[in-house]
Amino acid sequence: MLENIVVWLGDELAFAGSSLLDTSKRVSVWYLVSALLFAGALLTVRYGRNGWHRLQPYLSWRVWFHYSARTDYKLWLVNRLLLALLIPKALTQAVWISWLYFYWQEHGFRDLQLGWSTSVVMVLFTLCYFLIDDFSRFFVHWCMHKSPWLWAFHQVHHSAKVLTPFTVFRTHPVEGLLFFLRSMVSQSFVISVFLVAFPNQVSLWQIYGVLVTTFLFNVLGANLRHSGVALSYGPLIEKWLISPAQHQIHHSVARHHYDRNFGVMLAVWDRLFGSWHAGHDDQAIRFGTQQAIDDMGVLGQWLQPFKDVHQLLRDRIKHGRMWLKPFGLKKRPARLDREGRS
Amino acid sequence: MIDVINYFNLRVKTMKKTLLALLITAGATQANAMSYEFDVTLKGYDGSATSSVAYSGQIARHALHNSLKKVVSQGDQAKMLNYLSGKEEGRAIIDPASKEGFAIKQSQVDELSKGKDLLSSAYDGVITGWPGNPTAQELLQQLVELAANSKQGYDPVNGYDYTQLISKFAMGAVFYNKAVNHYLEEKLEADQHPNNEAYKEGVPYTGKEHVWDEAFGYFGAPAHGLELSPKEVVQITKQNPEYFAKADANDDGVVDLKSEMAFAHAYYAASIDASSDTTYFHTIMQAFVDGRQLISDADGERLTDEQRGELKGYAATIATAWQQVIAEAAFKYAGSVYADLEKIAIIEDAQGDVSKAFRDYVKHWGELKGFALSLEAAGRDLGSAQSGLDRLIGFSPVLFGDMQVVALDGQGGFVQTNAGIMQEYKLNMIKVQNLLAQHFDLKAKLKDKTGGMSAVLEQINAAGKSAEND
Ligand SMILES: [Zn+2]
Ligand SMILES: [Zn+2]
Repeated sequence: MLENIVVWLGDELAFAGSSLLDTSKRVSVWYLVSALLFAGALLTVRYGRNGWHRLQPYLSWRVWFHYSARTDYKLWLVNRLLLALLIPKALTQAVWISWLYFYWQEHGFRDLQLGWSTSVVMVLFTLCYFLIDDFSRFFVHWCMHKSPWLWAFHQVHHSAKVLTPFTVFRTHPVEGLLFFLRSMVSQSFVISVFLVAFPNQVSLWQIYGVLVTTFLFNVLGANLRHSGVALSYGPLIEKWLISPAQHQIHHSVARHHYDRNFGVMLAVWDRLFGSWHAGHDDQAIRFGTQQAIDDMGVLGQWLQPFKDVHQLLRDRIKHGRMWLKPFGLKKRPARLDREGRS
Repeated sequence: MIDVINYFNLRVKTMKKTLLALLITAGATQANAMSYEFDVTLKGYDGSATSSVAYSGQIARHALHNSLKKVVSQGDQAKMLNYLSGKEEGRAIIDPASKEGFAIKQSQVDELSKGKDLLSSAYDGVITGWPGNPTAQELLQQLVELAANSKQGYDPVNGYDYTQLISKFAMGAVFYNKAVNHYLEEKLEADQHPNNEAYKEGVPYTGKEHVWDEAFGYFGAPAHGLELSPKEVVQITKQNPEYFAKADANDDGVVDLKSEMAFAHAYYAASIDASSDTTYFHTIMQAFVDGRQLISDADGERLTDEQRGELKGYAATIATAWQQVIAEAAFKYAGSVYADLEKIAIIEDAQGDVSKAFRDYVKHWGELKGFALSLEAAGRDLGSAQSGLDRLIGFSPVLFGDMQVVALDGQGGFVQTNAGIMQEYKLNMIKVQNLLAQHFDLKAKLKDKTGGMSAVLEQINAAGKSAEND
């Protein structure tokens, strides 16, 4: 028994380590380097030789070995193990998709028989898959900020005081579970619909085993989003694509930055939801929530959310308040609650 | 510039020619290994035989199986047992029998081999996919008994087509099991039938030669299978007179069942290949020929560990592709079952007569179930796929009134209960196809009712699940 656990632990850790070379993982060495080259090139064009100095936070050991960054690494590894146990094995994607695929057909939705070529279907499918994936990420993220119950868990991600590419893994396992369900639901939906409409023609446009959009996103510096390198795409592009600088604003402690830029790749969702904010190469931002959780280790990151949920529950029972905060609030709900109490 | 292009074209042309020449010579050097024919290598053999190939006992069992399939639909239990478990002399080969334009050399089982039966070679492990968890041997006996009590092998009450169930399951439980679980597995070990000894007193073949031949015999391919296209193999099994010349490799005017006929899974492998771009038949055939060549090349000496290792490589190729063939067949019939249910729904809507469509449904279900049970009848670990297939296919098709067989009662009768809506059984067929395609890495996927789901799932799974936010 113990032996099996040790073997399993070893396997999981080795698997985590292999992410560093796996082109389907964002933190693979290739993308870590490509982000550096991409930012270096762009900043050199903009600022000449001085541009390279702006990369300093990405290369600084003080950032990579910061207490906050070390917590990121630990959470990355332990969350992997935890999620491997939490994610239900029986509820596989195949079961979901089969059911939906059957359901659509039983309700009269059939092969569209448009006679489109397989490459056209591939491009269309890839586009829809990307749009639904990106929007569902945006929307769940938006909910995480708008619902105090969900924010209790999402604050873990925002408690990072320095950003490194590994901050992407700094999440509470409950949030990990929610995001797993999100990908399951959104993927199952779009795949099942396409399988019915274009049977035997559906495939994803992939490069090195990843979706073409994910590949481009990663090559073009996805890792800079969680870093101290402020890189704006300029006002025009930022209206369409979320820049690293824009996501850093999302992590800002400044009050006027609260609840801005929820998007992952596309900026249009933020514009639709009124949460868009421009980034700037010269923005100076401090990261964190300015709550006690910012300085907590792994255990604190795991437990604090449950304590907050418990507190919320007690408050709700006392005051009989609503689930969601009213729209348009510029503050994060959790902090509002704390301030409300104090 | 034009010169450069011309030069380049010329180079390409010469390269093509060289390649072609290479291929032709390669083919020529292999020509002697095209047919499953091998000389005697046994040291100290002083008899008159020139061939060391012998698998007539396996061919006799193929003839027994083919004939059994014919008699099941006649409903005579004594006759069925004659071909299932009898060993007595004088049994006629009911199938394949001579017909106009397609003469068969043998008409009696004894002309192939004496004293052979099917049942004693059947898998003796438990079959979880049938109520009561019988062994494969018990199940074959039980099915024959049930067939005898049915209307020519058809039981509309429980949804069983015994002709299909018995035939498809027997192929797995006897041929596939014996070859893959027995000859290509334990019999390849060093201490079993060594190659420097005769298989038994007085025979012209060594231990390992015969072990390999017996496995090949169970596959059911004609010895000249590598010279035949999948379509030709299929037509030979169907005894199509237009393909008689293709079957009669030695031009003696009759098809010798011992070496010129295609049986059982060899036929299914070829029929799948004929309808898709897979190469199961030739892959298996080639591995058999290559493995046998390796044994022949050892020239009657004991096989080294290295040689046995290589031989096991060929055995693994055969076992994997053979399993895929059975899974492909199950996949195809799951698609047929799905289509039958669709047909039934349409006819019911129009208030037409569903009896013909229901008969097809039961027939196809029997084929699906027979192949699915075959997969578990060779002692190979299927992991979660086995329980998945058992559960999704169930013990019977879902019948009118949404009933399904769920157990056996004390007297050996079938117990039915309400099993959910008949039309929703289609969803199970989608899941069965997915499970088969993913677990056995299927390529042909004939009658795919999933819209190509498994390929998309493979892509998505390769990309990994993301539990990350930003
Ligand atoms: Zn956030
Ligand atoms: Zn972030």
